Amino acid sequence: MFKYTIKRVLQSLGTVLIVVSIVSLLLSLMPTDYFFTEEQLIKLTDKQKEDQLAAAGLLDSPIVQLFRFLENLILKFDLGTSRRIQAGVPVIKVIGDKFAISMRLGCIALVISLILGVPMGILQARHKDHLFDHIGAAYTIFVNAVPRLVSYSLVLVIGVKLFGLPSMYSTRHAVRSSILPIICLAMGSTASYALWMRRYMVDELTKDYIKLARIKGLSTRQIMFKHVLRNAFVPMVQNLPTSFMLTIGGSLLVERFFSIPGMGPLLTDSITRYDLNMVRGLVLLYALLGIFGLFLGDVLMTVCDPRIRLTGKGGDTR
Amino acid sequence: MKKLLAILLTVCFMLGVFAACTNDNTPANTNEPASNNNNENPGQTQTNTPVSEGLDLSVSKEPKKDWVTYLTLANEMETFNILYSQNNKELRVLTSCIDGLLSNDNRGNLVPAIAETWGTEDGGKTWTFNLRKGVQWVNMNGEPMQEVKAEDWLVGLEWVLNFYKNEAANTSMPTEMIEGAADYYAYVAGYQDLEIPADADAATKEKLTKNYEDAKAKFEAICEKYDLEPVRLTADEAKSMDLTVFKQMVGIEAPDDYTLIYHCVAELPYFATVATYNCLYPAPQALIDQLGVDGFYACTNENMWYNGCYTITHYINGNEKVLTKNPLYWDTDCTLFDTVTYKMVESGDVAFQMFQAGELDYIELTESNLRTIYNSESNEFHDYIVEARPTKYSYQLHLCWDKRDENGDPDVNWNTAIANENFRLAWYYGLDATAYLARTNFIYPQHCANYCYTMSNLVSFSDGTDYTDRVMEKLGISPNGENYARVDAAKAADYKAKAMEELTAQGVTFPVVVDYYIQGSSQTALDTANVLKQMFSDCLGDDFVTLNIKTYISSVNKEVRNPQLASFYINGWGADYADPQNYLGQETYGMDNAYYSVSYSKANNITDENLIAVYEEFTNMVNAANAIVDDMDARYEAYAEAEKYMLEHALVIPWYKNVLWQVTHVNDYSKIYAPYGIQGEKFKNWETSVDAYTTEDYAKLAEAYAAGAAK
Repeated sequence: MFKYTIKRVLQSLGTVLIVVSIVSLLLSLMPTDYFFTEEQLIKLTDKQKEDQLAAAGLLDSPIVQLFRFLENLILKFDLGTSRRIQAGVPVIKVIGDKFAISMRLGCIALVISLILGVPMGILQARHKDHLFDHIGAAYTIFVNAVPRLVSYSLVLVIGVKLFGLPSMYSTRHAVRSSILPIICLAMGSTASYALWMRRYMVDELTKDYIKLARIKGLSTRQIMFKHVLRNAFVPMVQNLPTSFMLTIGGSLLVERFFSIPGMGPLLTDSITRYDLNMVRGLVLLYALLGIFGLFLGDVLMTVCDPRIRLTGKGGDTR
Repeated sequence: MKKLLAILLTVCFMLGVFAACTNDNTPANTNEPASNNNNENPGQTQTNTPVSEGLDLSVSKEPKKDWVTYLTLANEMETFNILYSQNNKELRVLTSCIDGLLSNDNRGNLVPAIAETWGTEDGGKTWTFNLRKGVQWVNMNGEPMQEVKAEDWLVGLEWVLNFYKNEAANTSMPTEMIEGAADYYAYVAGYQDLEIPADADAATKEKLTKNYEDAKAKFEAICEKYDLEPVRLTADEAKSMDLTVFKQMVGIEAPDDYTLIYHCVAELPYFATVATYNCLYPAPQALIDQLGVDGFYACTNENMWYNGCYTITHYINGNEKVLTKNPLYWDTDCTLFDTVTYKMVESGDVAFQMFQAGELDYIELTESNLRTIYNSESNEFHDYIVEARPTKYSYQLHLCWDKRDENGDPDVNWNTAIANENFRLAWYYGLDATAYLARTNFIYPQHCANYCYTMSNLVSFSDGTDYTDRVMEKLGISPNGENYARVDAAKAADYKAKAMEELTAQGVTFPVVVDYYIQGSSQTALDTANVLKQMFSDCLGDDFVTLNIKTYISSVNKEVRNPQLASFYINGWGADYADPQNYLGQETYGMDNAYYSVSYSKANNITDENLIAVYEEFTNMVNAANAIVDDMDARYEAYAEAEKYMLEHALVIPWYKNVLWQVTHVNDYSKIYAPYGIQGEKFKNWETSVDAYTTEDYAKLAEAYAAGAAK
């Protein structure tokens, strides 16, 4: 297991390096006009523009730019400074400030949706084709069928008009102003967990070992929790770390809607504003999160189901 | 063992992420004052008489102590450095945080700020500003750091002109107006080494070589002029420059702590109004020393110093910012809020929901919201919609004389047509913009009508006549508030017939295709463009022109203006200082710094001799007007004549000004009115009420303001 972990970590780092290098090279190929704001394009002379590009190192070849980036990253752990999102502020600080907010809201929403979604799925599976199953299905269909902005608006109107909650997130009144965004964040994933939990459990319930268990006289409760849930939970567990990691990335839609100063819109904003250091930093972060999320998912899966082995050759069933 | 390792790994990772996630609330700046805690009352202050005095208004007289407003997320600040900012995103906030030499009152008059008195004794060549004593730089918490002194303006100007410190931002006015400023900029920026790409052709090589030699020769000439060693500065050397060379080269001096003298390149009678603009703002050397050059460039609300009415005590990017009253603000008699909160919202619709929930004190109404409220008497805001004052921008149709198609080839049909004066005059007299104006202000569309190039209220003659009224008088335009006054259908038809005859003979194909670009993602822009298309069809006829709506993705400059794809642009100009030169100078011919004629119209590429002659005549008129410095009435008269000439030849077609509708708790007529510069959004001396003003209240306030009842 230790050897496997080291191998996966090294593989992951290699993948991250490749991803970041490709993105960095592609960014170097973008037209330099995008380095300037609309105002600068109008007001700066050609010479002033050239001076600025030279000072920023953008007149160097893409390879030189890439090596400079990697050198700073590896030797100094320096991702440079933001140019347009927050001029002159280190990329790590910009990301760090936003990362914390997205993470906090995302984690709460994730926990809530697990607490609500998983039991909901279990109950739906247990009472398949009965009232509770239909109610759960209706909720899932509603959440998935109605455009997100419409359902968020509904939550906003109800929250503001009936409960007097603030319309937008505020770090000064973080608790009250987090309620509506968390509801919006949790709404979709609750439905999703319920849907998958129900599906996996219903699938398990049709298997032969369940029939055997019934014949052996196990109660429905014992069958559901000791056998079905444990087996159905394995595929869910694999995705949990990735879901957790993705909370750091924030939700573009919810964060925009409630003006949450999180990570959600940061990548798109950085690209549209040609903030190259920010883009590189974010790509690096997202690559790390994605790859380590998958790795942790694999590890957790082996914890939940000892039959699964990450080492050993294919076809080895020992 | 396997389980344990797996669990440990997961837990460690989670803990690591949570640890990184802890909120980094950097403690407030607690630096001790560097020197001088003097907080005496500086004396002369700027106050407004309440505009509502003597009026019978329905609103409560109880003012708001805290103000909550909003901005859309696209308007989030990118920098806190006021010397670096060139953008309203930042300046609208920073103007309340840092004061310059002068400001404006609610009628647009120049009033003292840090400078108590100012003047010139040689017709505008040399300007002296006498600063008030005891004004303090304070930190975010309002604690005194040091006194504001004249040298701060030298440090500020050096910063602006030092390419390696400020990246050429805000250099245009100082380099054009202040002695030696252009030389200092060029000396610090140096010149680039000659680098010829391996695949360059002979012409490119020759051009690059010539550019290099010109730049080098210019640099060496400057060095010789000021007796400096002709060696280019490195970035580090430039960043560590003190004021020694700057003082030797640039026409600014501080003979004592409270006197500041500018030496201009020529007599500039309007130079004092430039002192309201951030290119001439102060910067304390002690702060730069403390933060370092890179740190000052990237200063934040937490480590910057303030000398204005508010400090930014809370700032979360993309969420909200809170401005708190500066307890040591020099103007102790003015009215300030305890706090001003900006909430950053996704869109105007979200802001409207927040206003309905009582979370905002002001809302600008979109066309659809305005229609909904106006057309429903039972709407809760029906009696509270009020018309805002015009913004400082004057919008025009800027015609492109050298349009290209998407392959980069000249659009000969358009270029030939637009060079014909009859063709342009058919537009000038034929286009009735009322439907277009109704998109902004459907209740009183003619309030948005604009018949001049220069924005109204910029300057006035000694008898009080507004400059633009004089231009309209010369043009024979008398707005009646009901129709688009420039329209003359008979004249338009006459010019159209002549144009079609002349241009057909030149091989122009009708209808002439007119390419107009809008941002692809904006439904509002598309709706407005469709109104424009219909207007062209109705006013000019489908046999004459066809408006072709095209889209760009994100940048009109990069995607449309640089490749010269549009037939015309609708664009607004807001003045930086109070002189018609700041408007008309943008349209002159053969001048590198003429923003619109160079960047938009591509006037320097014109080949039609008649059109060149018209441009040259106009440029001569502008230059002649600019040369009159001893008699302001004569100067404005000459500019008015030049503007009339430009419009009568339809080099540009005035289009509209922005007059929006809102629901608000502030009396707009009490706010600073700045037809130029950056003072307009300062939260100072605002008259507010805990109740929203009614439509009726605003009518009384407008009337009182117009009648001059309020000062």
